[in-house]
Amino acid sequence: MHIEAQERDDVLLRRSAKGDEEAFTELYRRHQAPLYRFALRMSGNVWAAEEIVQDVFVTLIRDPKKFDPGRGALRSYLYGITRNRVMKHLERVPREWLHEEIDEDNASQAGPGFDVMTPAEWAELHERREQVRAAVLELPVEFREAVVLCGLEELSYEEAAQLLECPVGTIRSRLHRGRALLLAKLEMLRDTPKRAGANR
Amino acid sequence: MTCEEFELAGLDLETLREDNAVLLAAREHLRVCPHCAALHENWQALRADLHAVGAETQEAEAPPRVEMRLRQEYRTRHKTVKARRVAVIAGWTLAAAAVVLVAVSWINWRNQVGPSTPAAAVATAKVGSTKPAGPELGETLVASNDTGEFTLLPGSLPGTLEDATVVRVQMQRGSLGALGLTVNEERASDLIQVDLLVGDDGQPQALRLAQNAN
Repeated sequence: MHIEAQERDDVLLRRSAKGDEEAFTELYRRHQAPLYRFALRMSGNVWAAEEIVQDVFVTLIRDPKKFDPGRGALRSYLYGITRNRVMKHLERVPREWLHEEIDEDNASQAGPGFDVMTPAEWAELHERREQVRAAVLELPVEFREAVVLCGLEELSYEEAAQLLECPVGTIRSRLHRGRALLLAKLEMLRDTPKRAGANR
Repeated sequence: MTCEEFELAGLDLETLREDNAVLLAAREHLRVCPHCAALHENWQALRADLHAVGAETQEAEAPPRVEMRLRQEYRTRHKTVKARRVAVIAGWTLAAAAVVLVAVSWINWRNQVGPSTPAAAVATAKVGSTKPAGPELGETLVASNDTGEFTLLPGSLPGTLEDATVVRVQMQRGSLGALGLTVNEERASDLIQVDLLVGDDGQPQALRLAQNAN
């Protein structure tokens, strides 16, 4: 069956529920990447992110009728399931470290001027990003969500509020507190080596 | 603007562009409050780092194996559902066929049993043997225990004899003509005893000559 690029999600879901595999594949391809990134940035673990995304779509396969188009977009619904799975994962494994499979070379190229850096500058930049990643993963979940969506995924406050099903003001205040916590954590992380050095 | 108001407005002044008054107040607050100014400066640096960290995973997506596994799950799921539907339909079809078969068999059996209905009628008669027959039949007679073949009267159907009652009456042979039977005219005035099988409607449906009849 042919699928139009702009075919609506709920139409695709209906077709998918009736056994149209192509419609399901289209739905998956449309939504998997942001959901995967959200899960990855919230958990810091590629395996967990992969499992979470798989779980989300298995839920969609098994019980497509749970989605009610009257209550919101499919994207929000899928984010909701992803959030639940992430929470469950974090309850099981409270904190994990690093995105194991991120290509270090590509990762370091994400900043400007990487090609004119000295090895020392490169190492410092790398360390700083590691600290930022670690600090984000240490944030309480509600602040982490806001920082991940608005800071990393760069969604607007309105979009984030829609996905997290809360008022824009809540996002704004969570983001503010998240940022303040993040700054405090980073300051602490950056001070730790200095203090350790001072103690010696 | 106070520090609290500044915090509420958010560290990211770019988001305040739409609200010019708040933006101006926030800038003014940054000028006079070293704490918030330091916080804002740190935030600017952190924002760049966050952007870089975000960019590292900007193109990240689930590996192709996830799609493969999901498609497999999808196929399995829908194959199972289809198989279940087919099984349910087949089950109902079989059940319906069985019901039809039973109904046809029962009707056939009923049709075959029809001619021997008098036996059942006799039993019915036994139960109601104390009941007097209607006055239009003349003499009241006890039901017969005799076995023997009844002859259906013209226009009677075997199926209507289920609850028939057997009554024995004495009549002139010529009266049989009124029931549609052929009568020997020479002996039309003879008195004979006849077992009549009377239906629910009180009409005789079949008859036989009683064994001690003349």
